[in-house]
Amino acid sequence: MNAKPRRAAHRTVVLGGGAARRGKRAAPAEALQPAKLSRAELYKPPTNEELNRLKETEDLFHSSLLRLQIEELLKEVTLKETKKKKIDAFLHEINSLLSAIPETPETELTDQGWLPKDVKVPFLQVPFSVKGRFHFMPPTELKVVGSYLLGTCIRPEINVDMAVTMPREIFQDKDNLNQRYHRKRALYLAHIAQHLSKQQLFGSVKFAYMNSNHLKPILLLRPQGKDEKMVTVRLHACPAPEGATEPPTPHYNNSILCDTMLLSHLQFLSSAATDFPGMKDGVALLKVWLNQRQLSKGLGCFSGFMVSMLVAYLLMKRKIVKMMSGYQVLRSTLQFLATTDLSVTGISLVKDVDPSLPVLDDFQQAFEVVFVDPSGLVNLCADMTASKYHQVQFEARYSMEILDDRMVDGFQALLMTAKPMLRAFDHVFHLKHVSKLQGTCKKMQLLSELMDRGGNYVAAALPFIVSLLVRGLSGRALLVVHSLPQTPEWPIDAEPPKHKDVGPLTFGLLFYPDFAASMLEKGPQADHPEALDFRTFWGEKSELRRFQDGSIREAVVWEANTAYQKRLIPEQIVRHLLKLHADIPESSICYMGALLESVIRTGKEASGTGEEAMVSVVRAYDDLSRKLWHLKELPLMVSSVQGVHPALRYTDVFPPIPMKPIYSFHAQIKTKHMLLPSEKKPCPAYITPLKMICHMEGSGQWPQGKDAIKRIKAAFHLQLAELLQQQHQLVCRPAVTHTDVYKDGYVFRLQVAYHREPLILKEVVTPEGMLKYQDTEESRQLEVEIQHMPYVTSSLHGLQQQHPVFGSACRLAKRWVSAHLLGDNISEECVDLLVAFLFLHPAPFTPPSSPQVGFLRFLDLLATFDWKNNPLIAVHKRSKFAAARSCLPVMFIATPKDRWSSMWTQERPSAQILQRLTVLASESLHALEEQLMDPLKTQDVKMVFRPPLDFYDVLIHLNPNQIPRHLESVDQPVKSFSRGVVKNSTADKILFPVVDYDPVQCYLRELRDAFSDLALFFYDKHGGEVIAVLWKPLSFQPQPFKVSNVKGRMVTTLNDKLVCVPNVEAILEDFEVLGEGLVKSVEARTEKWTI
Amino acid sequence: ATSRRAKMAASVERVVGEAPAGYTALAVKFGARQRSPHYLLVKEHQLREGAGTAHPPHRTLFVLNVPPYCTAASLTRLFSRCGDVQSVDMCDKPGPGEKEEKLKSKFFNCETVTGFRVAYVVFKKPAGVRAAKALSQEGPLLISTESHPVKTGVKKWIASYAASIVDQEELKAEVDAYMQDYDKKIEEEEAKAAKEEGVPDEEGWVKVTRRGRKPGLPRTEAANLRLLEKEKQKRARKELLNFYAWQHRETKREHIAQLRKKFEEDKQRIALMRAQRKFRPY
Repeated sequence: MNAKPRRAAHRTVVLGGGAARRGKRAAPAEALQPAKLSRAELYKPPTNEELNRLKETEDLFHSSLLRLQIEELLKEVTLKETKKKKIDAFLHEINSLLSAIPETPETELTDQGWLPKDVKVPFLQVPFSVKGRFHFMPPTELKVVGSYLLGTCIRPEINVDMAVTMPREIFQDKDNLNQRYHRKRALYLAHIAQHLSKQQLFGSVKFAYMNSNHLKPILLLRPQGKDEKMVTVRLHACPAPEGATEPPTPHYNNSILCDTMLLSHLQFLSSAATDFPGMKDGVALLKVWLNQRQLSKGLGCFSGFMVSMLVAYLLMKRKIVKMMSGYQVLRSTLQFLATTDLSVTGISLVKDVDPSLPVLDDFQQAFEVVFVDPSGLVNLCADMTASKYHQVQFEARYSMEILDDRMVDGFQALLMTAKPMLRAFDHVFHLKHVSKLQGTCKKMQLLSELMDRGGNYVAAALPFIVSLLVRGLSGRALLVVHSLPQTPEWPIDAEPPKHKDVGPLTFGLLFYPDFAASMLEKGPQADHPEALDFRTFWGEKSELRRFQDGSIREAVVWEANTAYQKRLIPEQIVRHLLKLHADIPESSICYMGALLESVIRTGKEASGTGEEAMVSVVRAYDDLSRKLWHLKELPLMVSSVQGVHPALRYTDVFPPIPMKPIYSFHAQIKTKHMLLPSEKKPCPAYITPLKMICHMEGSGQWPQGKDAIKRIKAAFHLQLAELLQQQHQLVCRPAVTHTDVYKDGYVFRLQVAYHREPLILKEVVTPEGMLKYQDTEESRQLEVEIQHMPYVTSSLHGLQQQHPVFGSACRLAKRWVSAHLLGDNISEECVDLLVAFLFLHPAPFTPPSSPQVGFLRFLDLLATFDWKNNPLIAVHKRSKFAAARSCLPVMFIATPKDRWSSMWTQERPSAQILQRLTVLASESLHALEEQLMDPLKTQDVKMVFRPPLDFYDVLIHLNPNQIPRHLESVDQPVKSFSRGVVKNSTADKILFPVVDYDPVQCYLRELRDAFSDLALFFYDKHGGEVIAVLWKPLSFQPQPFKVSNVKGRMVTTLNDKLVCVPNVEAILEDFEVLGEGLVKSVEARTEKWTI
Repeated sequence: ATSRRAKMAASVERVVGEAPAGYTALAVKFGARQRSPHYLLVKEHQLREGAGTAHPPHRTLFVLNVPPYCTAASLTRLFSRCGDVQSVDMCDKPGPGEKEEKLKSKFFNCETVTGFRVAYVVFKKPAGVRAAKALSQEGPLLISTESHPVKTGVKKWIASYAASIVDQEELKAEVDAYMQDYDKKIEEEEAKAAKEEGVPDEEGWVKVTRRGRKPGLPRTEAANLRLLEKEKQKRARKELLNFYAWQHRETKREHIAQLRKKFEEDKQRIALMRAQRKFRPY
């Protein structure tokens, strides 16, 4: 590697030093206290008002908590009265300014000399020459329309829409042709802009496209000074109302008609909103809901205006009544969206049937999604693609499910959680250069659509590309969505943005987990007429195949050998189809499906990410357990065999690979048929013992004393080794606490267990002679080992069967934790459970179907979950949690079997480590999302797996040849060492290999034993070359001499007092002494110990 | 890095370390190559009243801050020049020094203390203690020398890996011996219990065990709790619900109180979340 790897620019946080500030959000958070009410308060007679409120909550809201939450949220997003007054004043001033703009003389449309140089026409004038004349006249009417008047506009972006009615005199006949109307409109706005930009009143005067529709420029006005962010006034120019005559079919006409209706729409909505306080709240909530799902901005969005219209429609249809609360409006609207497909059956707001108006079917033919306005002429959803509507519908349906699920905090999931595409969709890919879509329009013969869209090739090609993908991925993808093209606003002296300026287009795929990776695309039978269609669709990939049932069909078979490659079959499909039908070269597609997975792959040439290795481990394990059950001549039967190693639940970061030792590489003990590591050679490869618990049946023969049980277990270990050797020719190595078995190239570690042993360890006899059970450290540990570990392993194994990517997501998460040197500070089971939570309670998302999205959500969970006030996987009452908060671990994870102790987080992580994890997670997530969303930069996703090392006090550099897992490091090491093994699984009579020998772990153990009260040690067990040391600030304060407190310290005089301080120089040398042969150098980076 | 060097150089000059009252500081280094020493704090072991006799007074040197790589053998070697060393006892922290002589086993219950420890060095003669204290005037003591190297690092770990491989025959023999003893003990106890079965003691009490003809309830906490629970259920079954008017009233009152309490809790949560700005959707 020539370039130095980039490291993520993480903010560093001093571990010992209190809370880290996270931007604005850092609030002095205190933990929740249980509610205390005095008896008198609890039982006083209720007032009428109180009873009413309690009753209302029951009727109109889900629960009182939800009601309070919604009230708070509304308070947060709605406009304050004081602001409103300021805005009103601002609007008045604009009003007077606008009516004072002078007229201009009449000129040809192409003669724009009257416009000064520093104002450009906000319109793409192609072709430039067009007939017609234009002159400016002051507007006939100025009126505020839209959400501001209805009171439904919400923060953070307060937009006030103002309709500027252009006088009829400006227009000529046939202005509706050749974009003449649009051009006049643009010129009109340009003239206004020129005048307003001279005024002191405004902080900025800019142009933008209304909903990114390039035919509809609008003028944005913002007030001067610190109020600039407060409000944006958007000027829409619209023609004076006149009797519209032509039937609206294409998008072009629709956009003209839409302008004429601005005022009448306002009247319609305000009549709906009278006497209906719930509507205001409901629309605000729906807008927040849409915003969180990124549906409310861009071309073809589901805008706030449509939401209001939809609510008005439901009111008209009596699906909503004026009595309803905001929450019920939200619910009913979602319910309607979930059950109605507007892309199949459109809806109309027209009250009376008028034969002169076009019928719904006409709309249906011209547009993908149909929602007709009260005039019966305008389609409000003209720009929306069917795919976008399906996304809205899908979200609505899923939100309804969430609301009905009592286990999920619906408020949080629906309204407070953002769903960016990267985290919401399993695979995401970008179209780097949208200009390539011009070629697509040609290839797909979309010239008439292109004309209809006024030359916007992105808008013209998008629906066709999406429907192409939907067809190609049908059966695999539940949802294919696209990002909404968005053009930024621009200053008035700049040219308007071109179509290609919308930036990269992003697509998201949501999979059916069971079918996404299928290798076969089964087509119709060869002699059917549809066969031709199938062939043209898939091109040369389609071939004739004979199937098992004897039929001969057209079929496409995709090339994939490993699970990793299979997960990327959708990528092959996307690339193939876009190239074949849309003329989009592979180089402009940037597929973000599996970029991260390289960090859980070992070896340069490996084609998979270890799923296959894991399966073969499990197969060997199953075989061994069968052999154990049927072992003859054992005094007691084996009652059950349960695996506890992560590899046996598919979550081991690097699964073991079958290996056979090379004898000449090792030292040997001939008499015992064992190999030993040799001092002269590099350290042998690390062979993980795959631990399994072997329960023996209960029987009266078991002794009831704890020491005796230990002896009997040792005897069992000896006997198991002997019998396995005799009956199955397996090489074994018995020890006191376990027996290692070498099988198929793996080493399994059998541990015999007796189910009553923890109970016997707990036994205490009280002085009165009563038998009591009391937890001891030893019994707790044993219980974890023989009861809880197997339980977790088997239930996570089950989860893997339901969600095939669970294992890989877990492995990515664990790799990340360990890469940041925190692997020893948080138990593996804890990370596994966190990831399992993402699969079991994914709301508001769907369960992940790709490891990458699982990992991103894991980071998000770590970064945002409020551990202080909430347990994870809540299965019990929250109030009980609050009451006991102070004595529970910092990170509380409850599982159905373990509700009250949070077993896997008892000791680790500590509060500081959790704090650091949170910070690291949010930084990593941020860096990663930025990279994955920007296809134009080079992607170095490994960046987030390189730990920042600058804030550690001492770095201990290690000798790579003594690191057995060196190959697992994030960046492939340049030099690799022979580790004395060959990959092989067919060895029966061998010397027993070196198992579970990792010098670095031995070293760390010694370091922690000796210096744990002075320093913390951090290490990445997957091939890290550095042990990072952090001094504990507290123990570096001089302390008075105490016999129990001199470990590693020296006595010195400070201010005439004898005190103990750490003997740092000697300790640094101890680091070298203890790790002789392993440590390359000890680098002290700070002088913090100077006292 | 230069300042670190300077510091190290300074510490080399200062061989005689400071010590709190009653203690003497002995500089000790791993080998000749190391620059900065650790300081052992030694003093004559003083016995509290009634403590055991494993560490006899006057002859025992109490050593604090023994570095992790310093073994009992190397301590013996270091102090043997002050007089014959009878025994060296290493512990995690200073203790009463009274060791009940347990059945020593090579395989079971063998936990070694690690890290920085304390040691009791028992000399054969009291003069050894005085001589040891005088060592502070000399240069730092070396734990690992060429003639007596102490294994650390990779060498040590390989050695302990080799040691972890057990001899099967030996283990088997030990287990068998222990179990024979154990079985014998249990047998004796049972025989004794069988003899006492049904025989009243001096005050006339008869002991009921689970082996007898009428095994009573086992005397465990769980059994007691179960009994209490049963009683409670029995009582609850007899009670009439909402039978009297006052009961009805009470239930209603209780319901409202519950709602209120819940409401209050919710309000608190909301207040807390508001303080944390949890209601900003974006």
